[in-house]
Amino acid sequence: MKDRMETSPAQDADTMARARARRRLLIGRSMVYLVAILLALWVLVPIGLITSMALTTPEVVRSYPKGVLPFIPFSFETMRFFLSSRGIVPGLINSIIVAVITLVLSTLIAAPAGYAISRYLFRGRDAFRLAILAVRAFPVVILSIPLAVTFINLGIFDRVYSLALMHTALTLPTTILVIGSVFASIPYELEEAAQVFGCTPLQAFRRVVLPLVLPGIAAAAIFTFVMSWNEVFAASVLTVQNRTLPAQVLVALRVSPEPYKFAGGFFMLLPSVIFIFFIRNYLFNMWGQVSK
Amino acid sequence: MRSLWHRQTRHPRRQWAPYILILPSLLYLAVFFAWPMVRAIRLALWDEAAVLRVRAEPAVHGRVVGALPQGIQVALLDRHGSPTGAAMPSGSQALTETWFQVEGNDPEGHTILGWAPEGRIRVRVSDEQGRPIQGTVRPKLGATADPLTSLYAEPDERSPVTGKLAGGTPVRITEQAVLEVWFLVQAQVEDEVVTGWAPSRWLQVYRDGISGRVDRGDTGRFTTTYIRHMLNDRFFRPALGTTLLLMAIIIPVQFVLAIIMALVIQSRIKFNTIFLAIFAIPLAASDLAVGIVWYAIFTQSGYLNSLLQALGWITTPRTYLAADTRHWIIIAIWLAEVWRATAIVMVIVVSGLQAISQEVLEAAEVFGATLWQRLRHVILPLLKPSLQVALILRTILALQVFAVVIALSGGDVVTVLANEAYRQYYTLRNMNVAAAYSTLILGLSMISAIVYLRLVRSQEEARA
Repeated sequence: MKDRMETSPAQDADTMARARARRRLLIGRSMVYLVAILLALWVLVPIGLITSMALTTPEVVRSYPKGVLPFIPFSFETMRFFLSSRGIVPGLINSIIVAVITLVLSTLIAAPAGYAISRYLFRGRDAFRLAILAVRAFPVVILSIPLAVTFINLGIFDRVYSLALMHTALTLPTTILVIGSVFASIPYELEEAAQVFGCTPLQAFRRVVLPLVLPGIAAAAIFTFVMSWNEVFAASVLTVQNRTLPAQVLVALRVSPEPYKFAGGFFMLLPSVIFIFFIRNYLFNMWGQVSK
Repeated sequence: MRSLWHRQTRHPRRQWAPYILILPSLLYLAVFFAWPMVRAIRLALWDEAAVLRVRAEPAVHGRVVGALPQGIQVALLDRHGSPTGAAMPSGSQALTETWFQVEGNDPEGHTILGWAPEGRIRVRVSDEQGRPIQGTVRPKLGATADPLTSLYAEPDERSPVTGKLAGGTPVRITEQAVLEVWFLVQAQVEDEVVTGWAPSRWLQVYRDGISGRVDRGDTGRFTTTYIRHMLNDRFFRPALGTTLLLMAIIIPVQFVLAIIMALVIQSRIKFNTIFLAIFAIPLAASDLAVGIVWYAIFTQSGYLNSLLQALGWITTPRTYLAADTRHWIIIAIWLAEVWRATAIVMVIVVSGLQAISQEVLEAAEVFGATLWQRLRHVILPLLKPSLQVALILRTILALQVFAVVIALSGGDVVTVLANEAYRQYYTLRNMNVAAAYSTLILGLSMISAIVYLRLVRSQEEARA
């Protein structure tokens, strides 16, 4: 302090150093922005390309070289062509049925387990958590091949609900962990306070905890839906006539023209992109906690 | 302190509750995860029709005198009808013979009751259900020693004769029995001649009637046939090689990108949350859709060629996704997978970063550490647990790459393990070999998980 007031050269040096530091910070800042924008483009550009292919006429899709400007001419022709192709609408309906059954089953089975791992300390809790983590990391869909053999023997092969059973096994571990972390974010004291004020444990749960965890559980359910919607290996193995949308597109891929492919890709991508925006605040509940 | 208090109150009071709450999920995973896993291993390593047991008697509970491997040629020495034991397997080619229990008068006028083979009785009258109720004894043609037809106490030619009927005698048919034909088979199995009775359902009888082969065994046996079939498959080596190659080139790039993304998010720039949401989009993207997106870029009339032509670098479109441009397909798969699966690593790394106390990061900055120094000495060491988890997860997920490969290569030029499991199952209808591939993928996943966990533990022990 004293130096600064007495000697002006040092003061100059100081301001210069500060200016340099500020400039460096500014450059650093803009570098960060540049990197962020580049990375965002890396993610967004491919989505933009497929979108512009899907929302134009099939003639433009077949043309070469492709224009730089997207959506010229803007048209739903390609989408209409895709949606009117054989097996697409039934596949869409099957996909939705499978995903809804999966969502309901998965949430119903996972919610109690999620509650248990976040609220109770019991012998075997860590083992259970570890088992859940292990199952989630495992290539569960590969198991659809032995399951197919069993389903054929039981006579429930090629049904949408038997595929939903497989998808539930696939999504269950994730759903348990997410719901567990959602419950863990609600302090137990709230439940206790409600009980002190005369609620039964069940009432305390229903009136106090449930409204608080419902958005989180909804996010988990949406994610379950998306996982089932996207899943293609088990769907191709376990269904023949009742194909889901991805399975139908996969089978038709080799023999289908480009407008069909691009419209299909866009159509499958769309719900996922929308859903991720709805549940973005819960992303860390979903995947973040694997490292804890 | 508070959590300690929880421990004391919650623990003893309702011990049973958590177990009941986790029970449904445990049961579900047992049925749809553990059990199919066992099934996969069984399908891959167990030949259900490997050997046929042959017996001393033509009877289901006869003493087992030997075993014949499936497919072996056998001589048929004798035949005999026996009551069918278990239900016939569907699609079996069991030979049967029918016996009638008949009642009629012998030449002396005595009424006798006994069993005769179907061939000896001509059915004259049947009831509404088509069951024969009346018939006549067929006359024996030719000059045989005994012109009379014998009736037996049991539907078995070895049982005592109860009487004899002349040809043309009218009889009442009281009962009928369907017997399965058993053969006395003989074959040479490794220097040893095995002779014994076997039901015809397991055998294929040749036209000459005195020789045949063991069509299916009735007993399972451990086998490496399916594993060997998989190893000798022409697609096996390319599939394994490509899977490992993809793993090796995808994962490092993903980690670098993910760490950069996480640092960008962590630096708390404006629109932080928007960038995070954008980076996270591929997390929910279908792998098939992502394959198609990159197909749109790399196909011959696609965006890459359009761009290169607009820049004047090429004059005619090049092909990338063809059989003779395998390396370009690999590059396309590599980009698509990096695009798709970096998001999950990013989310894990971001949440790992958030767990690191902000003071530590700021302290390093205050002491003038450059970004690289901070990364090298502070951030990465603290992130290690998160990175290890992400690494396990990514490695195992990389073993499952499937739809992206199909979308970009059609599944023939470039193939991966999951695609081969699908091909064996779907195109070739060979469940056992498909299960062998599944078992291989499961095994590789397990090995990588164990290796990583070991590494983590040994490092922790070294640090302690």
